[in-house]
Amino acid sequence: MSIDPDKITDEEITAFLDGELPPEEAARLEALAAQDPRVAERIEFLARASLAFGEAFAPLLDAAPHDRLAAALAATPSPAPARNGWLTRRSLVGAMAASLLAGIVADRALVRLSVPAAQEEDEASEWRKAVAGYMSLYTRETLSGPTPSPQSQRADFAFIEQRLGLSLSPEAVALPSAEYRRAQILSYDGQPLVQIAYLDPETGPMALCITAHPEGGRQPMESERRRGMNVVYWSSADHAFMLIGHAGPERMKDLATGLAERLSA
Amino acid sequence: MAAFAQVPSPVYAGDAGRAAQRPAVRVSVRPTEASIASEAEIRQGLSRHLSRLWRYGLVLSRQRDVADDLVQQTCLRALERAGQFQPGTRLDHWLLAILHSIWLNELRSRKVRLGQGVLDSGDVLSVDGASQAETRVLASQVLEQVDALPEAQRSAVFLAYVEGLSYREVADVLDIPIGTVMSRLAAARARIATRLSEVEAR
Repeated sequence: MSIDPDKITDEEITAFLDGELPPEEAARLEALAAQDPRVAERIEFLARASLAFGEAFAPLLDAAPHDRLAAALAATPSPAPARNGWLTRRSLVGAMAASLLAGIVADRALVRLSVPAAQEEDEASEWRKAVAGYMSLYTRETLSGPTPSPQSQRADFAFIEQRLGLSLSPEAVALPSAEYRRAQILSYDGQPLVQIAYLDPETGPMALCITAHPEGGRQPMESERRRGMNVVYWSSADHAFMLIGHAGPERMKDLATGLAERLSA
Repeated sequence: MAAFAQVPSPVYAGDAGRAAQRPAVRVSVRPTEASIASEAEIRQGLSRHLSRLWRYGLVLSRQRDVADDLVQQTCLRALERAGQFQPGTRLDHWLLAILHSIWLNELRSRKVRLGQGVLDSGDVLSVDGASQAETRVLASQVLEQVDALPEAQRSAVFLAYVEGLSYREVADVLDIPIGTVMSRLAAARARIATRLSEVEAR
């Protein structure tokens, strides 16, 4: 509700009450309040919401399970060297850009050679680690609810195609027995990461995750275990895929094989 | 405890933070070691702010187990991104921003589970001593008011009025324009004031 004659808004009054208004404007508002009771009234009204917020929320700090959180922090491993070391993907790109600026033609192969093999591997598996990290937080309840209609799935897929340059269809992503739940776009390292979530009645949450694969290159299907889940991953020319879930390795592999075939069709 | 929430930690004083953010002509090249926050520093900062992060997680999610997860994910993410933290800026705000983005991007969907209010656990606010009875009632009313706000307003109110962040800092943590911070706070104030007036009128 703004006060018409002088166009004083609630935002201005709030900023005034919070001490965020520049001195001249604060003075102007005070002068107005002295002249116009409506302004004064509105200030008084909004000031009622100036409560003892800090005190009220202080007990929640004591309620925090500090010891448990501290133990979890202590147990959090240091990230792989590629992440905080001297040659992350970002710094690598930076270094390449810098070389180009300096008029030096950076040979891609040459630069890649200078990355130790172990670090390169970490970089490629990093996103699977991130996905496993948040998938481990999913429960059946996370994915409770109905399966969206094919129409709404198609609408989601159209949006995904725009962002990721990959065309999906309800038929291609459907899994035998596991129920489709939703598709969403997350962000990994500034890149879109598509997550298609399923609920497998037998084993719980499952997801197909896809990200653009800037390095390119097909990679055959491989399996690994992360955070107590089975992961099957592979790459097409432009995208990296992973299927993650609690089902046994054989079944995961079968499901992934079916997906890979339908997605490349 | 309230003071703890409001007073900036001396190590990351606000002025130093602002100075570091100001775009300035680079006169000298800073030594590399000083410009890259070490993982150990981030770890230390995390351990100092665990309870504050958890509290923000609880305010956002209204669920203790989700707050736990949010803090753990924040620890993981912050350590992974240690190299992105700019020394001289506020580490606590950086951590709050990470937690917020994890909530938005990854965990919020869990909220489909029955959302239980911040207030729901009666033990949280029980304070011993009859002399504090009045304070207790007031505090629970304040929590109730904030809890009743829509999420966007709730996070802005919490950061500005509980954590004591400036509008600019709230905008940075939430990754929204400063004008949006103002309108969320104004809407929250109007809503709280209206509800309090209704209670009074009863």
